[in-house]
Amino acid sequence: MSFVADRRRATELSLVIFAGLITAAAYTLASLGKNSVIPPRILPFLAALLLVLVSAHIVVRLLAPGADSTLLPVAALLNGLGYVMIARLSERLAGLQTTWTLIGVLAFTITLLVVRRVNDLARFKWSFFGVGAGLLLLPMVPGLGFSSGGARIWVSIGPVNFQPGEFAKIALALFFAAYLAESRELIKNGTWRVGRFLLPEPRDLLPLLGAWAFSVVLMVGQKDLGSSLLFFTLFIVMVWIATEKAAFMSIGLALFALSAVAAYFLFDHVQTRVSIWLDPWQSYRGRGYQIAQSMFALGSGGIGGTGLGLGDPTRIPEAKNDFIFAAIGEELGLFGATAILIAFLLIIGAGLRTAMRARRDFAKLLAIGLTTIVGVQAFIIIGGVIRVVPLTGITLPFVSYGGSSLVANYVLLALLLRISDNTAKRLGEAPDQMSVTERFQAGRARRKVARSGVVE
Amino acid sequence: MNRRIGKLALILFALYIILFAQLNLVQVGRKASLDGDSRNTRQTVKNFNDPRGDIVTSDGVVIATSIASEPGDRFDWQRTYPEGDTYTAITGYFTFDFGASGVEKTENDVLAGRTTTQRINGIGALFSGRDVTGDVEVTIDSRIQEAAKAALDGREGTVVVLEPATGAVKAMYSWPTFDTNLVADHDAEKAAAAFEYLDAAPGKPLLANAYQERYMPGSTFKIITTAAALDVGLIDDTTIWAEESEFLPPQTTDPIQNYGGKVCGGDLVEVFRRSCNTPFARTALALGPEAMVDAATRFGIGDRIPIDLPAPVASEFGNVDYFEQNLPLLGIGGFGQGNTTMVPLHVAMVAASVANGGVMMRPHVVAATSDQDGRTLRRTAPTPWRTPMTTSTAERLTSLMVDVVNNGTASCCLRLSSGVQAAAKTGTAQLNMAGEPERSHAWIVAFAPAQAPRYAIVVMLKGTNAEISEGTGGTLAGPIAGRVLDIALGL
Repeated sequence: MSFVADRRRATELSLVIFAGLITAAAYTLASLGKNSVIPPRILPFLAALLLVLVSAHIVVRLLAPGADSTLLPVAALLNGLGYVMIARLSERLAGLQTTWTLIGVLAFTITLLVVRRVNDLARFKWSFFGVGAGLLLLPMVPGLGFSSGGARIWVSIGPVNFQPGEFAKIALALFFAAYLAESRELIKNGTWRVGRFLLPEPRDLLPLLGAWAFSVVLMVGQKDLGSSLLFFTLFIVMVWIATEKAAFMSIGLALFALSAVAAYFLFDHVQTRVSIWLDPWQSYRGRGYQIAQSMFALGSGGIGGTGLGLGDPTRIPEAKNDFIFAAIGEELGLFGATAILIAFLLIIGAGLRTAMRARRDFAKLLAIGLTTIVGVQAFIIIGGVIRVVPLTGITLPFVSYGGSSLVANYVLLALLLRISDNTAKRLGEAPDQMSVTERFQAGRARRKVARSGVVE
Repeated sequence: MNRRIGKLALILFALYIILFAQLNLVQVGRKASLDGDSRNTRQTVKNFNDPRGDIVTSDGVVIATSIASEPGDRFDWQRTYPEGDTYTAITGYFTFDFGASGVEKTENDVLAGRTTTQRINGIGALFSGRDVTGDVEVTIDSRIQEAAKAALDGREGTVVVLEPATGAVKAMYSWPTFDTNLVADHDAEKAAAAFEYLDAAPGKPLLANAYQERYMPGSTFKIITTAAALDVGLIDDTTIWAEESEFLPPQTTDPIQNYGGKVCGGDLVEVFRRSCNTPFARTALALGPEAMVDAATRFGIGDRIPIDLPAPVASEFGNVDYFEQNLPLLGIGGFGQGNTTMVPLHVAMVAASVANGGVMMRPHVVAATSDQDGRTLRRTAPTPWRTPMTTSTAERLTSLMVDVVNNGTASCCLRLSSGVQAAAKTGTAQLNMAGEPERSHAWIVAFAPAQAPRYAIVVMLKGTNAEISEGTGGTLAGPIAGRVLDIALGL
């Protein structure tokens, strides 16, 4: 019998191959533009690229056969275009990014392998809280954490440097989803009578305040405005949807606005960020230089872009990282930049569709949280680069250079696919047959039973 | 919860629409201003790594070209100016760190092969591997330009030669100037040192003195005063000015004097030939502020010189209100002293308009542009700019200026060796106050042949220390104009 799932996987396979071809074509064009040569190893490159992509697809086929068909291809396209841009900026980083991509796909596989039913994760909510909070605070530990580019968001353990915040946001999304799934009715309806009003128990509200406190700590302790904003938005969105009460959104926004205003007056770096945002030209030779270069890059790109390899994105500081969107805007123009925006909208669409289809509150809230993370994070950094909001150093999911970000986002992607797959099974869109591991475990159990000689 | 999820989707969608809108604003709306920002070196870098066409004179001398850089250079092409400092006022420079000037700036798109026509024609070149560039042919004739440089011979001043009928600039040279190669050096430190030195140097060599500076014109301005008075019929051949050494204008006790306090007067031919001051002060005052300012405006004073080069300045005379309050200044303005300042090129244009029957043409240095295959992209058509006087006034002035050469202040030095009759007016703009050592700008403005003018010329020597008389300008500047005209007319 034919399942919807089979059609999804077929779609995914063709889209994934398409993403690979686009990436390889872009890679060739970038090389032609920059050095006027077709990359000598373009065929091995294409083969390896397709191998990785098709492997990821096979992983989904085996481990989450009913999952959404667009998430993986869109992520692959973003990752591919980001890779082309990074390779065009620096050969060395391209090599590292390849490694990070492989590790990312591996983490993606492991996540799908380990997490069979997403609802099982709800049990570990306090562990996730501990891990999330711990990771967030880690950079503030003397000796471990260090600053780079103004924000103290890095941790160095032995030879490995990473940004724990990238993983913390997933852990916290898991925690919020579990917590809110459990107590959303309590918070929503309120059991604490104060005069004529029914308010939520202070106990249930505590995490609300805790989240606000966290975002303030991030802002003050790590000067990490981007993560602070992302984290708080994530929280507000989840509470709002869980309780279905706009009041929480208003209160949350008011709290954030309050702390933002306070931070503006208390901290120089916040003021600097805002003044650069309002007028980068004034401090062109100082802090406004980055944004000004970003504007020049975008302007020189115009509608059609300079063409891959033909622009001058090395002039933008941090072009490989926070400013990769400006580099794309320069070489691929308004068309290419818009394609990136549409790719993120597709991820948001697929993520929220997954949330809508999910049956259990926890899965629903988790899908919302994870989608919000990707959507809002991309908005914050793109908005910063093109001056819609003040610039805050944060990576562009799947596109920017960086191991922590890429690996974390692949884990996030795997969780979204898992939720989608669970729903598909429940709706009968995918065969509820045993998966590879289940079959393996069942076989082992059978053999064990056979060995022990117990007969039913 | 699903309804809220729908709302969330809308909110996120709206956020991305904002991003898209801003992206349009930056990449399309502000593209031009971002690309044009002086701090934006992107376009310049691209320019420096792309080949660039030549600038050539009308007689085929290459005055700006690009050669492939030495290996290891920071750019692929080195801009060079084979003639050193001779054509600086024309070509300008094309530098990485200091931007561009002159034709290098105004015709940048053509030289870099970036006009629409070149782009379309260039699609073929994409496959043949040929560079898409363009060449600019300037109106300058290298023989006249060299003659101007040689005649000026290191004295501080300016020489401009025009074709009266077309406005084509045949020569434009000033001293001090500089070798453009110095600032085009790819060694940023060397170029910066040269640029700083030139920026601080006396005489402002970085500015093209011929069209980016203005100087007191002295008696050359009498052409304008005379034209204004003839046009309205205030004076004619029968007008006689009293013999006097000084004249007291209204509103002051300080009389206007002739050069050296000489007694001077007579009919128009006489006072123009001898360059008396008092008759022109009287004429200017008789015309009154409004008519004088009108005339100055008709001659283009107050407007930027409409030359096809960057950042030209405007000559200045003054406004009606100001002169109403300061009639003595209107009087001395009538003979080019006081607050009157003129761009040297503009003085040449005044003479050219007399030579051209009263029509002042737009001056231009670009004759034509062509693409890499020699196909013409654009040819400059001569266009009139102003009609400052009637044809009959122009004819009258021509004969007055002929008399200046034959019997007047230019009789010393503008009798051309070829025997061609020239027409001229001299000027000596006194810079010192009474009692100070004498300093003046020495001017001569002329055209030849008087009856069928081929060239108009202005020579200005800046701040000379010679003793001042009505003949100073002619004595000092005249021989230079004579030498240049002799060579030009011999071509």
